[in-house]
Amino acid sequence: MTDRRRMNGPSGGTAPPFFASSLTSKTASPTQRTRAPDELRKIFLKTGLTPSASGSAYFELEPSTPTAASKSLASKAPALKLTCTVHGPRPLPRSAPFSPQLLLSTRIKFAPFAARYRRGYIPDAGERDLAAHLDTTLRGVLISERWPKSGVDVIITVLEGEEDDPWNKGHLNENERAGGWGMMSILAGCITVASAAIVDAGIDCIDLVTGGVAAIVRQPTAPLQVYLDPCPSDHEEIFAACMIGYLQTRDEITELWTKGDIKASTDGHGANSMGFEPLVDQAMEAAVAARLVLIEAIKESTGMKVQTSRIGHPKNAAS
Amino acid sequence: MSRHKLVKALDLDEELDDFDGGAESDYGEEVGAEDKEQLRLGTAKVRAVLGPEVSITDKEIEDSLWHYYYDVDKTVNYLLGQRTNSQTPKKTKKQNMDAEVKKPDAPFSIADFFSDSPWLNIPEDRRGEILIEPLYPRGKLLGGTSNPDGAPKSKLAALAAARKKKENQRVEDGQNATSSVALLDKLGHKPRQAKSDNALNLSNPKPSSAITEQTVNEQPRKYSRRKSKGLESPQNDQPVKEGFIRSHSLASPDIEKKPEITPTAGPSVFARTIFGAPTVSQQHDIQTSNRYVLAPDTHAEFDFTGPSPDDIVTKAQNTKGPTKKSHKQPPQPSSGDKSVNAVVQGVGDVTIEEHKVRGKTLDVVAEFERSKPKNAANFVVIGHVDAGKSTLMGRLLYDLNVVDQRTLDKYRKEAERIGKASFALAWVLDQGTEERSRGVTIDIAMNKFETESTSFTILDAPGHRDFIPNMIAGASQADFAVLVIDASTGNFESGLKGQTKEHALLVRSMGVQRIVIAVNKLDTVQWSQDRFDEIFQQVSAFLTSAGFLAKNLAFVPCAGLTGDNIVRKVDHPQASWYTGAPLISLLESSEPITRALEKPLRMTVDDIFRGGVQNPLSVSGRLDAGNVQIGDAVVMMPASQTASIKDLEVDSEPAEWAVAGQNVILHLADIEAKYLKSGDVVCAPSAPIPCITSFIVKILAFEHITPMHCEVHKGRLHAPGRITKLVSQLDKASGAAVKGKKPRMIKPGSVARVVVEVDEQVPLEQGGRVILRAGGETIGAGLVE
Repeated sequence: MTDRRRMNGPSGGTAPPFFASSLTSKTASPTQRTRAPDELRKIFLKTGLTPSASGSAYFELEPSTPTAASKSLASKAPALKLTCTVHGPRPLPRSAPFSPQLLLSTRIKFAPFAARYRRGYIPDAGERDLAAHLDTTLRGVLISERWPKSGVDVIITVLEGEEDDPWNKGHLNENERAGGWGMMSILAGCITVASAAIVDAGIDCIDLVTGGVAAIVRQPTAPLQVYLDPCPSDHEEIFAACMIGYLQTRDEITELWTKGDIKASTDGHGANSMGFEPLVDQAMEAAVAARLVLIEAIKESTGMKVQTSRIGHPKNAAS
Repeated sequence: MSRHKLVKALDLDEELDDFDGGAESDYGEEVGAEDKEQLRLGTAKVRAVLGPEVSITDKEIEDSLWHYYYDVDKTVNYLLGQRTNSQTPKKTKKQNMDAEVKKPDAPFSIADFFSDSPWLNIPEDRRGEILIEPLYPRGKLLGGTSNPDGAPKSKLAALAAARKKKENQRVEDGQNATSSVALLDKLGHKPRQAKSDNALNLSNPKPSSAITEQTVNEQPRKYSRRKSKGLESPQNDQPVKEGFIRSHSLASPDIEKKPEITPTAGPSVFARTIFGAPTVSQQHDIQTSNRYVLAPDTHAEFDFTGPSPDDIVTKAQNTKGPTKKSHKQPPQPSSGDKSVNAVVQGVGDVTIEEHKVRGKTLDVVAEFERSKPKNAANFVVIGHVDAGKSTLMGRLLYDLNVVDQRTLDKYRKEAERIGKASFALAWVLDQGTEERSRGVTIDIAMNKFETESTSFTILDAPGHRDFIPNMIAGASQADFAVLVIDASTGNFESGLKGQTKEHALLVRSMGVQRIVIAVNKLDTVQWSQDRFDEIFQQVSAFLTSAGFLAKNLAFVPCAGLTGDNIVRKVDHPQASWYTGAPLISLLESSEPITRALEKPLRMTVDDIFRGGVQNPLSVSGRLDAGNVQIGDAVVMMPASQTASIKDLEVDSEPAEWAVAGQNVILHLADIEAKYLKSGDVVCAPSAPIPCITSFIVKILAFEHITPMHCEVHKGRLHAPGRITKLVSQLDKASGAAVKGKKPRMIKPGSVARVVVEVDEQVPLEQGGRVILRAGGETIGAGLVE
C-alpha cells in the first residue's frame, strides 16, 4: 500500500554525507559511557505540551555524551525526544459496539527525521510492535471500568530516537530496525511519558507506571556488568536487556520485555553472576528513578493548575 | 480499651478548668502589695499548722488562702482533705490523661480505628468532618493599638494568647497533644506521629522531602498492597539471593529503596523552544552527585546448587587436554572423551565436494602431438573501410567451396533487391541484418576453411573506424594479418591516411609479425603494374617504419569481386606481368606458429551464450596459452569463480581437449551467468591471472600522449582508465630509457613507459598486449610490464 496523498520522501535510507574530518576525528569512534553503571541519563519531563489535547507530555533524555564535545553534526550523540498526547476519554462513535470499559488505543510513530534511517508515514512493524507493548503496559494501570462506552487515544511521536549504532557501515538490516536495543529505552520513555500525559488528562489510574531499562553489557575494559539505562551506542556489546513497566507503590509489573541471551553472558565468566532476576531488579530500579521525575513533573503541573484555577487542594488533584 | 472510649472519658469541664487555672496565673500579677504580705503571713501560719512532714508547695497554700480569703483553718482543712486523696485532683486527672494517651506504643492506624466498622457504614460517633479552613485574613485586634506588647489585653485576647503559647510549648517539647486536643486534631496528628516513629526505627533516615512525598503516596491508598509472596515461595529451599531480598523489601514500605536524587534534567534547546522561557520551577539545581543510594551489587551470593569452582576447573582441564591432542594426532577413536569423538566425527563427515564432471585426465600435449594436426593458422583481414575485405574473403570461401553456389545465388538475389549487388560475396561473412543493410562489417566475422596442408580461420575485421574495438578483439586472436588495400584511384591514398595505417599499426602492436598485402580491385585500374608498384613502395616503406621486417611482407595483386588471383591465378592479359603465386598459396606458406602449450591456461572470453538445452552456459574464444580438456576445473577472472568444463568444442566440432591457438567453445558447469562477461579470462586454478588496477605499459604512441583519460583495450576487454604518469621516454632501437627530464608529453611514433590506472580490476599479466584509445582514436599500443 502506498500513501498517495503525501509527498513521500525516498523510502530507503538517506544517509547524511560523511565528511572526511568527522571520520578521522576522535569523535567518530563509538562514544564511551561516562555515566556510572547505576546512573540514569537525565530526564526532562513536562506535561501540558498540547493545549488542544486532554492530556499531553513531553519527554526528553539528554544525550549520553554532551553535544558540545562533538563538533560535527554527523557525530551527534543520540538523544531521545518524545511527545505524547492523550485524547479522551471520549464517547465511542455510534457505530462502535458497546464496550463496558474504556477502550484504549495506542499509537507510536517515529517522525521521518527521528533517526538516521528515514521512516515513512505509515507505521512499520517495529512501531506497531512498540505500540502493542505500550498498550499492555497502560491497560494494567487504567481503571477502565469507570469509563464505559468511551475510548481514549494515546499517541506518541518520537521526535528523536536513538539508533543501535549510528556508525553502522551504511546498511541497516530489517530486523535490527524492527527491534534493536535502542527500542527498549524508547519504549521505557514512551511508558513514562504516556503515564504523565494520562495523569494530565485526569484519567483514573491505580498507580503511576514508569518504564526502566537495564542491560547486561560488556565494556572493553570492565567485566560483564548490569547497567541501568543503557545507550546502545555507548557499549561495545549488549548481551541482554530488560525493559519493565513498573508500579512502585503496588509493587506490580505491567510490562516486561527481555531480549538477548543471558546464558551466553554468564557462560564466559563462570558462576551465575548475571541472572534474569537481578536484571529485572535493576530495570525496576531504573523505573523507580524515572518515577521520581514523573512525580515531580506532575506536582509542578498540578501546582500551576491550582494556581490558575484556585480550586481544590493540590493533594487531591495530584492523583 | 479502644480509643473512642478514652476519648469519651475526657472531661471537658476539667479541660476548661485547666485553662482557667492558667489564666489565673496571669491575674496573679494584679495582686496588690498588702495582699502579698497577707498571703506570706497566711502561708507561714498554714505551714506551722501542717508541720514539716507534709509536702505542699507554697503556691498551693497561697492558692487555697486566696480562695478562702486568708482563712487559715479552712485552708488547712482543705489541704489535708486533699492529702488523703494523696494528690491534688487536678494533677491526677492530668497525669491519667497523659498515661492513657501515651500508652499505645503502636502507631495509630486508621485501619485499626475502623477495623470493626462495616464498610460504608461507619457509626455516627466515629465520623469526623474534614473542614478546610477558609482563607480569612489573619486575625487582628479590632481598634487595638499598633503596639501589641505594651497595651493591656482584653480577657478574651489574653486567653487566646495563653492557649497559643501553651500549644507552641507542647509542640516544642515534642509531646503529644493531650488535654485540649480535639477529636479531629487527634485523628490528624496521630498517624503523623506514628510515621515519624517509624522513620526513626529504620536505619536509613529519609531526607525530609521524601517524607512529604511518601505521605502523598500512602495516605490516600485505598487498595491493599499486593505482597510479592508468590515470588518468594519457590525460593524457600534455596539460598535467597540478594536481588530477591531487595525486591521483596520493596513490598514493605519503600523508604530505603528511594534514590536520593531525581535524575531530572533541564530542558534542552529544543524543549525550550517548545515551552518558552523556563519557569522558576524548572530551574532545579542539578546535584553533582549522581549516585543513587542503591548501587547494584554485582556480586551475588554463591549458588551452591551448581558445580563448585573447583569442579569447573577440573572439568575444564579434563576436556581441554584431549582436545588439544586431537589437533596434533588426528583420530583417537579409543579416547572416551565425547568432545574428541565429536571432532573426529565432524572431520569424517566433511566431504570435499567433487566435480560433477569427470574428465579422462588425458595428457593433452601428448595427444596433440599424436594427432599430427594440420598446420593451423588464424588470420585477421584488415584494411580501410570499403577496401573489399569481406568480399575478398567471400570470394575465397566461395572458390574453396566452403560456400555453395546456391547460397551465393540467394545472396545475389537479395543483394540485388536492395540495390547492392556487388555486396553479395561480402554477405557470406556479414551475417547481421544491419551489416547487410548498411553494407559495412560491424563485428568480427569468423569463418573456417581448409586447404590440403593447413586449416585456416578467417577473422574478418570491420574497417570502419567506429568499430576499431571490434577489430582489436579480432586482431588479438590472429597469427598473421591480411592487409587489403583498395588500389582504385584516390581510395588507396585515403586508406593510407585512414584505417590502413591504423590497422597496420594495431596488428603490429598486437604482436602480429607477418602480413600479407592484398592489393585489391586492380581490375578497376586495368591491372596497371605502375599502380601496383606505387602501392608496393609506399606501403612497404610505411610497414617497415612501423616495425615489420621486409621479409615478412608479401604483396599480391588481386580482384575480390572477379576472384582473380585469389585461388586461381589471374588469366587476364593485362595482368601477365605478375608471375607470383595467388593469395591462397601465400597464406599456406605461412610457417607454423609455435604454441605455448605447456603454459597455464589462458583464454579470453569472446562471447557468452546458451549452447543448447544440455549446455546452459557456454563461452567461446581462442585459447591464448595452455591446454584444456573435459572435466578440467577453471577459474573465471576477475570474478574469481570456479567452473568446470562439461563439454568442449574445437572449431564447432565436439572434442575432448583443446590446445593453445584453437578456437574453442567451452560448455561450463557449476557457475552462474552473472559472473561472466566477455573479456573475462578463463584460467587454470593453479595459476589464475592477476587482476590489477594499475600497471606500467611500454607503449608506442600513435598520437600525442599526456597524462589523460583513455580506454584500455585487450582483446574483447575494454575498460575506462587513465594515464597517470609518464615514467620515461625510451629509445626506439635499444629500448633503453632516454636520459634527461621526465617527459611531459610523448610525441607520436615514439616509445615510452607510462603508468596506467583503470577504474575496475582487469585481468592482465606481464606480456599482455594492450591498446590505449581516447576519443575514438588509438593513441598508443604496448606491452604490459
